[in-house]
Amino acid sequence: MIQTIEASPDEIYDIELEHSLLEANAKLAKENRALLDRHGIAAIDVMGAIGSGKTTLIGSLVGRLKDRLGIAVLNGDATTSTDADLIAGQNVPVVQIATVNGCHLDANLVGKALRKIDLAKLKLIFIENIGNLICPAEFPLGSKARVVVVSVTEGQYMVRKHPHMFFGADVVVINKIDLASAMEVSVADLIADVHKLKPGIKVIPTSCKNGAGLDELTSSLLAV
Amino acid sequence: MHELSIASSVVDSVLEFIDTHEVKKVLTVRLAVGELSYVETEQLRFCYSAITQETAMENSTLEIESVAAVVVCPQCDYRGSPKYWEDALSAAPIPTLECPHCHSTVEPVQGHDCAIKTIQFIACADEMPGNRRKQ
Ligand SMILES: Nc1nc2c(ncn2[C@@H]2O[C@H](COP(=O)(O)OP(=O)(O)O)[C@@H](O)[C@H]2O)c(=O)[nH]1
Ligand SMILES: [Mg+2]
Ligand SMILES: [Zn+2]
Repeated sequence: MIQTIEASPDEIYDIELEHSLLEANAKLAKENRALLDRHGIAAIDVMGAIGSGKTTLIGSLVGRLKDRLGIAVLNGDATTSTDADLIAGQNVPVVQIATVNGCHLDANLVGKALRKIDLAKLKLIFIENIGNLICPAEFPLGSKARVVVVSVTEGQYMVRKHPHMFFGADVVVINKIDLASAMEVSVADLIADVHKLKPGIKVIPTSCKNGAGLDELTSSLLAV
Repeated sequence: MHELSIASSVVDSVLEFIDTHEVKKVLTVRLAVGELSYVETEQLRFCYSAITQETAMENSTLEIESVAAVVVCPQCDYRGSPKYWEDALSAAPIPTLECPHCHSTVEPVQGHDCAIKTIQFIACADEMPGNRRKQ
């Protein structure tokens, strides 16, 4: 790791460390991915602001898919017990992940959670990341796809304000479109903003209230 | 939050280094922060000075060098600076993943990492530099 050591008369040393702050996590993420691949499981990392609808979306997707394939949910963002109940009521395995810094999930915590569940019968794992718009993007978890959830209640300029979130995304969901006209937010403009940052990325407008877009989201997640 | 978690991992890594080497006092920690990591340097400095208090890193200088983003296009082989989004209503133009030549999606190959480059410190007097190799 250390490459050069230069001594100077007053015993001051300059040591080259070249120590990446992200590498340790990236390595654990690869290990998680290898474990999941061995079991034929696709993990989907769901990121987005607090209240954007991550838990509700995961709940709807689980409801649609649980009879067809084995699903588990890792929840890193259980702010209330209602959140947990929403998923646990569906009778799929749920692991709550409590972080120390309350900032983001990391591959180490996800690895520990994966060792708590029986992977043998699973095909799909949803990981709800902490509702923080900056941090999680730096910390891959070993998932096969990352979904970033934006909701129209975050306003017209949400994408421009948090460009960083979208760089690592595979699918972007624009949720709560049932509220778009009340919020005076143009969904088409939000989609255009996402495409300015990352052309060609799949953007799916959804509403957990009326079910719009949920079929499309389900099939694109199954395709990853 | 982001800056705090980066500052803590810098401090953890340097304190780990101090544990395994004969260090009397850390003078400077030099970081290379990628353009795409969106780290706010003033906030990072603030967090750093707050959490280094009462450690062997207290009053050390944090030097932050910025690393420009480099992207590569899998379609047309463009390699270079990203295309910037100029009218994004933000103070600074936003780097994007759109190829400036063919408009496909590029891959960032530089500028998303955050690394400790060097540590400058005063060694304990009787130590030989040859003894401080780690790993
Ligand atoms: N109107 C509307 N409300 C929604 C929609 N999706 C979620 N919500 C509501 O938004 C609130 C926050 O949702 P939640 O799933 O807890 O967000 P999370 O913090 O991202 O997990 C809850 O009251 C949901 O019922 C939607 O599509 N339309
Ligand atoms: Mg939630
Ligand atoms: Zn190109």
